[in-house]
Amino acid sequence: MLSRSAQGLYWMGRYLERAEHLCRLLRLQVETLVDRPIREIHFGWNRIYDSLGRRPPGGDLDVGASDDYTLADSYTLAGDLTFERTNSDSIRNCFAAGRENARQMRHCISAEMWTCLNLAWLRIRELDIEDIWKVSPESFYARTTQEIDTFIGVAEATMYRDEGWRFMRIGRFTERSQLLVALLLAQLAAVRAQDEAIGADWTSLLRACHAFDAYKRSYSVEVRPERVLDLLVTDPLLPSSLCRSLDTLASEVAAIGPSPGSHAGAEAERLVGRLCTVVRSEWPGRGERAALLAQVRAHCLKLHDLVNAAYVDYDVEDSIVR
Amino acid sequence: MNFDGYDLDTAVYDEMFLSDGTPRAHCQALHDALRRLSGDELCSMQERITRSFSNEGITFTVYGDDEADERIIPIDCVPRILSGVEWRRLESGLTQRIGALNRFLEDVYGEARIVADGVIPTDVVRGCAQYRIEMRGVSVPHGTWVAVCGTDLVRTHDGFQVLEDNLRVPSGVSYMIANRKVVKRSLRRLYRSYRVREVEHYGTVLRETLRDLAPGGRSDPCIVLLTPGVYNSAFYEHVFLAQEIGAELVEGRDLLVSDGFVYMRTTAGLRRVDVIYRRVDDDFLDPLVFRPDSLLGVPGLLHAFKLGRVALANAPGTGVADDKSVYAYVPDMIRYYLAEEPILANVETHLCRRPEDLEYTLDNLENLVVKRVGESGGYGMLVGPHATPEERAAYAEEIRADPSDFISQPVLALSRAPCLVEGRAEPRHVDLRPFVLHGRETRIVPGAFCRVALRRGSLVVNSSQGGGGKDLWVLGD
Repeated sequence: MLSRSAQGLYWMGRYLERAEHLCRLLRLQVETLVDRPIREIHFGWNRIYDSLGRRPPGGDLDVGASDDYTLADSYTLAGDLTFERTNSDSIRNCFAAGRENARQMRHCISAEMWTCLNLAWLRIRELDIEDIWKVSPESFYARTTQEIDTFIGVAEATMYRDEGWRFMRIGRFTERSQLLVALLLAQLAAVRAQDEAIGADWTSLLRACHAFDAYKRSYSVEVRPERVLDLLVTDPLLPSSLCRSLDTLASEVAAIGPSPGSHAGAEAERLVGRLCTVVRSEWPGRGERAALLAQVRAHCLKLHDLVNAAYVDYDVEDSIVR
Repeated sequence: MNFDGYDLDTAVYDEMFLSDGTPRAHCQALHDALRRLSGDELCSMQERITRSFSNEGITFTVYGDDEADERIIPIDCVPRILSGVEWRRLESGLTQRIGALNRFLEDVYGEARIVADGVIPTDVVRGCAQYRIEMRGVSVPHGTWVAVCGTDLVRTHDGFQVLEDNLRVPSGVSYMIANRKVVKRSLRRLYRSYRVREVEHYGTVLRETLRDLAPGGRSDPCIVLLTPGVYNSAFYEHVFLAQEIGAELVEGRDLLVSDGFVYMRTTAGLRRVDVIYRRVDDDFLDPLVFRPDSLLGVPGLLHAFKLGRVALANAPGTGVADDKSVYAYVPDMIRYYLAEEPILANVETHLCRRPEDLEYTLDNLENLVVKRVGESGGYGMLVGPHATPEERAAYAEEIRADPSDFISQPVLALSRAPCLVEGRAEPRHVDLRPFVLHGRETRIVPGAFCRVALRRGSLVVNSSQGGGGKDLWVLGD
């Protein structure tokens, strides 16, 4: 397929995954505003901002703040992450970018996918933080998540399984791997910064990854940090686990076939294979986890560059096929 | 639908009614069906149509300072109907016309016999900004310079007349299909009973036409649609057509020329391109030949085209045949090349380059429409009766400064058709743009983008100037 189309579908996959990820985190975060202690609310905001590599508007949160201040701050932060036009990672902007890629590539996706995404966009673009805050912000995040899930389901049911499909999935699972790794690193950093280990912070992490039920089944109700990490990184049965995302990435990259960009394609395949091995066989004991996650993060960034060099920005010499 | 108070002006041809106010025979069933619908029912139908355009993203985009504004061309829910007899006449007239226009292009870029024989003055052709000297001596497959033509037709009491031949990159065909899809669903029983001829196979016919042009007659050529990109107001149509014809949608930066062949950059390497349905203007097509600052084109494309290794639809340089001065000579072309009388009339046109026409134009400005020869889309024109004396005086100065840049035409009483306005029927001026395809042979899908001047009394149907659309039903026999 046309390289630029492949690139468009790749980005569509990435942006929508990012929007979905943020919806999930924010839904959980606004739920904590109802009845959780202020410390936990702050922990949640810090975890989100740190994982995005972004500073909260107005600087660091005041841990000693009252309920009223915390709720007012939360309104500002949710607005910043959900609708802020100048924040390229806000849900609205990610959704807009995903939908714009779809609009430009709508001849490469199914009509049902396009309509599904466009309808959701027509709703979201009319909203602002005030609109969702006064009713129930949770339901906005829940509905948007559901719309993206529906889009993925519709794609599953209707999209032709050509290269476009694979590039969309490579984008989606590259993004998913990176976001999970960033979230886990942010969690470890936030936990290190406090004096005592608090179970609630790990429970909320499991919830944010749709993994709490799986945890309870695999282990027990007692939440232990190392077990949480093990589950989220290595459990092949957990849909949101890192190893599962990497496995999917590996099979999609392998399925695309030889690339015109001399070595980059083969290198991408080797790299993603190596990543799978790292999380499966080399997932370490307690001490080295953060270092290993940082390594995975660096490899994921490299993978993005390699895929681009292999199929999009390759050197045109000697690559004439027909 | 309430037709009481429908302003039937007998000086203007009405598409639905005879002068005595009774419906034309082929409109009777439509009229009856509309009468049975209440204003509220029609308004909700209209709203459904608009919403469906919005939901499906059938939009044109206006880029402002902030966010891109995606707008919808307003579609009126009341269809316009042409009988089988009316259509057949149009079809033969359009076939004749594209035949002559292609012969003309072959000729003016070849031996220029029509000029040598004194049928068209040299300076009308050579002085035209759209005449591309680079195309001299070039020959194209099957003599097809114009593969896709969107002819603007208007109707008066004297019958159909050709207002403009759009021979460069005519747009609007996606609306012909989109309007049909929504309107037929809204009036399903009526639609079925009318036995309307289909238009939704346009993509297949376009693909056949493009395939006809493949270099060396390749049976399974690689066809692409070249778009200026997402900022072009017709971008939706480009995506739509690419999908309909099963072609890749490419931009200039996706293509390159190597050893005289055109390639596109794919995930599997460079792939040779045989036919380019280009929606990029001549000026931007190849920076080595035309505008050097163009970022939308492909360096070396014209060279590959001249070598016959890639087909371009339409060929560069076709604009010389739809220039507003050259337009005046199309009936003469038909007689000259085909030895036939024109089936479709031209609108009476005065070329200000001729002293007597200039004098006539300046003396009668308040009754004429004056247009610049190189402009299109309703821009840069003066509608005499609607202009103030000051506007006319200022425009007259411009005409005097460069007469050959202007033509004038009588203000046409464009036909009117009933439209839904605030829950009731009101007449609005309409035209139609059928799309004529020409590869080995001429193919015309029986339909058109019917444009409507939605503002009361307005004669301007261009969508850039507040116009809208209607579905056009061509009946079988």
